[in-house]
Amino acid sequence: MRLEIDWTRCDGHGLCARLLPERIGLDDAGFPVLGDRMVEGDDLTHARRAVSACPRLALRLERAPTPAPR
Amino acid sequence: MTTTPLRGAGTHVDTWPPVWVLGAAHVLAGTSGGRLDLSAHRETHGLPRRRDRDELVRDAQAVRLVGRGGAAFPVATKLAGVPVGSRTHVLVNGSEGEPASHKDRTLMRLAPHLVLDGALAVARALETRRVTVAVGDAASYWSLRNALDERPDGDGVRVASHRHGFVGGEIRAVARAMSGDVARPPGRRVLPTVHGVDGRPTFASNVETFAQLAVLLGRGVDAFASVGDPDEPGTTLLTLIGDVDHPGVVEVPTGLPLSAVVGERVGPLLVGGYHGTWIAGPGDLVLSRPALRTAGAPLNAGVLARLPHDTCALGEVAAVSRWLAGESAAQCGPCFFGLPSMADSVGRLCAGEDVRSDIARRVGLLPGRGACAHPDGSAAFVRSALAAMPDEVDAHLRNRGCGRPVRRALPVGVRAA
Ligand code: SF4
Ligand code: SF4
Repeated sequence: MRLEIDWTRCDGHGLCARLLPERIGLDDAGFPVLGDRMVEGDDLTHARRAVSACPRLALRLERAPTPAPR
Repeated sequence: MTTTPLRGAGTHVDTWPPVWVLGAAHVLAGTSGGRLDLSAHRETHGLPRRRDRDELVRDAQAVRLVGRGGAAFPVATKLAGVPVGSRTHVLVNGSEGEPASHKDRTLMRLAPHLVLDGALAVARALETRRVTVAVGDAASYWSLRNALDERPDGDGVRVASHRHGFVGGEIRAVARAMSGDVARPPGRRVLPTVHGVDGRPTFASNVETFAQLAVLLGRGVDAFASVGDPDEPGTTLLTLIGDVDHPGVVEVPTGLPLSAVVGERVGPLLVGGYHGTWIAGPGDLVLSRPALRTAGAPLNAGVLARLPHDTCALGEVAAVSRWLAGESAAQCGPCFFGLPSMADSVGRLCAGEDVRSDIARRVGLLPGRGACAHPDGSAAFVRSALAAMPDEVDAHLRNRGCGRPVRRALPVGVRAA
């Protein structure tokens, strides 16, 4: 699974970074900076917790990344 | 090679942009006297061959046609991914939100019927009548409207005005606006081919893509591919800016040496417009989308620029980065906050402050952190500019400037409402 953020929803309060510090940092303005996005095995439990805690439903776990034709 | 100056871009005969053809004219064929009305258009281009979807996919595949808006996605793949039927939409993106680019406007003003032939042929192949053309300027709008009045088959075509800047001209933002929603890229990864205009499957592409399809259907695969690079046969439209041989809009066969297109002079070259890449010079690069992509300088919508020697190069870069920051659709935090801070830092570098590491850090934080590619493209523009202009950076650091004024050789528009 892959961590994704809907940037149009994220409000930058940084809860996800506190719950998943090994994957998510914060920039100067408080918006998350994703490290390694691919999550597998035991890490999934932690990642799922962060996803369900995101107050804006911005953080998601998605299956395969699909390159978008534009 | 012959260089034919074309005059009479629509009603603005002597204003920007001058229009040129280097070599074979495909999409601009017959336009040297100005706009082609329906009979002049038919005389020049004939009637497009009728194709069903599978045949059209094969033709597009045979000439390796890619979208001419920026993403350079293969047309055949996109066509094959849209369901056939009356629910499907065809969306022609003529909004051309980048102030440096003029090729789509030029095409709609001079050869509106070619664009419409392409759009209607795709609609026919997809067995639908739903066609929307989104345009960002009045001259294109009226050229297309008048063209629709001239033709017997234009009833189903909607021409809609769409002035929403650079980011609002992104195809997913256009599809959203054409559905009555806001002109902003959606936050989730939705594909227009699945969820486009009115939530329906949509084949969406740039104006030039449709015109090239019309040429393909008018002339056939062999004639279309008789010029150009085997990697991307045919011609392409470019907008050339600044210190180049033929400033304006140019149609050229692909595969020419880049130096033949922009001239041999020295100085960094911007490839691919304001989401593009500065390179030290044309070197031995060749004009084709696949080759330029491989070289790390994708052609995007076809803007090439070289700064004149009497302008402050770094100041030009700073002005464009400020403009890019203003174009942020303000939906995504990292873009909304990150682009202005990057632009500020570039301004400080211009004033002689050594903020190079600060710029590098801010640039590094942008890619992949927005709903659209605006942060990525803007970061590429700034990063590559500083890398391609080491002497300019040095001069500014040593003397707090280069002594030249900023002449605004790189056009920046007023932010559209
Ligand atoms: S918890 Fe959700 S809204 Fe808050 S910073 Fe993280 S992704 Fe953004
Ligand atoms: S990344 Fe920037 S320009 Fe793109 S949608 Fe988000 S805020 Fe708008």
